[in-house]
Amino acid sequence: MKGTHGKLLEVDLTQGKTKDLPISEQTFRRYLGGRGLGARLLFDLLPARTDPLSPENVLIFLTGPLTGSMVTGSSKFVVVTKSPLTHGWCDSYSSGRIAVELKKVGYDGMVIRGKSNHPCYLKIDDGGIEIREADWIWGKDSFTTERMLKEFEKNPSVGISSIGPAGENLCKFACISSDLYRQAGRGGVGAVMGSKRLKAIVVKGKKEVALHDRKRLVELNRENFQRAKKSVVAQARMKYGTPLTLNITHTGGILPTKNFQFGTWEKALEKIDSVGVHKSTISHKACLSCFTPCSMITRVSEGKYKGITVEGPEYETLGMFGSNLLIDSLPIIIQANVLCDKLGLDTISTGNVIGFIMECFERGMISANQTEGFELRFGDGEASLAAIELIANRKGFGDILAEGVRAAAGHIGKGSDRFAMHVKGLEFPAYEPRGAFGSGLSYAVSPRGACHRRAWPPAKEILGGYPPYTIEGKAEMIKGLYDENCVLHSLLVCDMPAKFIPLSLEDYANYFQAATGESISKKDFLTIADRIETLIRMFNLREGLTRKDDTLPYRTLWEPLPDGPAKGEFIGEENLKRMIDDYYTCRGWDSEGVPTTVTLQKYDLPNEAPKG
Amino acid sequence: MKVFINIFGTDIRLKQEISLEPASPALKEVLRALKGQYKGSVERFIKDDLSPAEGSAILVNGRNIWSLDRLETKIHDGDEITLTVLVAGG
Repeated sequence: MKGTHGKLLEVDLTQGKTKDLPISEQTFRRYLGGRGLGARLLFDLLPARTDPLSPENVLIFLTGPLTGSMVTGSSKFVVVTKSPLTHGWCDSYSSGRIAVELKKVGYDGMVIRGKSNHPCYLKIDDGGIEIREADWIWGKDSFTTERMLKEFEKNPSVGISSIGPAGENLCKFACISSDLYRQAGRGGVGAVMGSKRLKAIVVKGKKEVALHDRKRLVELNRENFQRAKKSVVAQARMKYGTPLTLNITHTGGILPTKNFQFGTWEKALEKIDSVGVHKSTISHKACLSCFTPCSMITRVSEGKYKGITVEGPEYETLGMFGSNLLIDSLPIIIQANVLCDKLGLDTISTGNVIGFIMECFERGMISANQTEGFELRFGDGEASLAAIELIANRKGFGDILAEGVRAAAGHIGKGSDRFAMHVKGLEFPAYEPRGAFGSGLSYAVSPRGACHRRAWPPAKEILGGYPPYTIEGKAEMIKGLYDENCVLHSLLVCDMPAKFIPLSLEDYANYFQAATGESISKKDFLTIADRIETLIRMFNLREGLTRKDDTLPYRTLWEPLPDGPAKGEFIGEENLKRMIDDYYTCRGWDSEGVPTTVTLQKYDLPNEAPKG
Repeated sequence: MKVFINIFGTDIRLKQEISLEPASPALKEVLRALKGQYKGSVERFIKDDLSPAEGSAILVNGRNIWSLDRLETKIHDGDEITLTVLVAGG
């Protein structure tokens, strides 16, 4: 199939050997690439119940059939593995030059197994593949690592993914960094990379990706660029970036505030929202292969952090380090963003964990005696910055926080699990589900834990016509959103242009046909999405996750939201149960969330049938 | 009647206090008055029939009008009306 190479690079770090792993055209047709191919591979390659931080876990980097094709938003890759945070399925997305370079060097992705007996990095180019010693960069932050590797290679255009100290120290929400500011952030993929003693991957290729109809791809890009120019949504997004979302979540009452105690925060306005960030924006940036520059470069203009510059902060960072911690200082948030990127931490989970500990301090559940004198209070920006370093380096109390909010609540006890905001161990992102019940369902049933990428329910419940505080129709709504994003994440294109130009699945079918030569319909895409989501469900069941893991924290279920449009709302156990029942039914899964034999046959997944 | 207007588009306006004299408290009349009074900034969000323009939404006190009483939603003194593009993701 054009657009793909039909092979992955397989690296065994224990043996120090590499080989090609062929992927059939049939597999691409059934799973597309990205998330879909990752589901197939993780299910097949990972022994059941593998310890995520053991050498037996596999770390899979995948591109998609549109990567390297100039399709807008196509310089994406996904890291698939078993999460050390959830002990279940993990797919973590990023963009970066490495995605395109992998295709240019002749691979659709990499499967990394084993564990090196010394720090190492991978160098892949047209001359071959080398596993090189990395003592000289081990311990360095991600920014320094990337700079040193580029200097060593004498080539500033190599694609690099690396881990920072957080990954080396097996912090369970460590990320994998690319192009400095782009993070495969969620689920602890950086810890898995660190457990293999793999510091970085450097890729440079020269091959052209074989495409079916390059001229048609250019035409489609031109047409869609004209649509973007006419779209007020795209224009607003390119001007303000994701910080504009904060204005909507505040207005709609779903802005996480004070560790998800509240849903609005007036103090955020004009300081850490679209207006505040716009004032600090010095330039706009597009990812490689994208014609919609929706990323902001911001710089602190005065004060202690004057001159600090970051690509961001994105909405999630503003929400989790801003309103969630009651920090209204953009310079502090920019510095937090830079620190997390350098040290290799997911800003979402880090902000969530810090918010949790702040609430524990406020409630007197812990004291400075238990934290070597270190205190974290809501609104304390400097202490939050210090906490980031403690977590990444697992120093003092940071060692407990580095295990994630679920484990931290287990350590502290005293009922703190009631406000440990996670699903399956993955920390909530920056949407308060009590103000949009579909978000609650989406978090609960997500196979990777509380996730904002599988679906974006505010599009329906805040900006669309779905009543936000009801359960009727929410299962179908979430399934529809999941399936659409599943297609995008398997083609491995950014879902942002799809949302704000907008581009439909039919538009992506046109791109797919031009890139691969294969005709496909929206219906075909959605059948593939069903197959992928069912296979991922089977993976999680095999790893021991069950219906009881599809749930929400006590706060979301039982504590009425005290402010905003959703004042007085909480989801309730019965409401959640009914939404989950409906969702399982939509998916063709039984009441325990196990795909039925009929469903497995329908999606041609007979080998995954449950045993016994 | 005094209302607060948010505009989230290529320009942002937050909680702008506006005095209007609509023919009735129904949202459609408030929007009609708003269109008459502030032509440049709100027209791209509101069609001639006063429904939201393509790619836009209208919220009253944080709730989408399609999940309230639509254009008949009753507006009170001090209510917040948000005209927004369909922001996506974050």
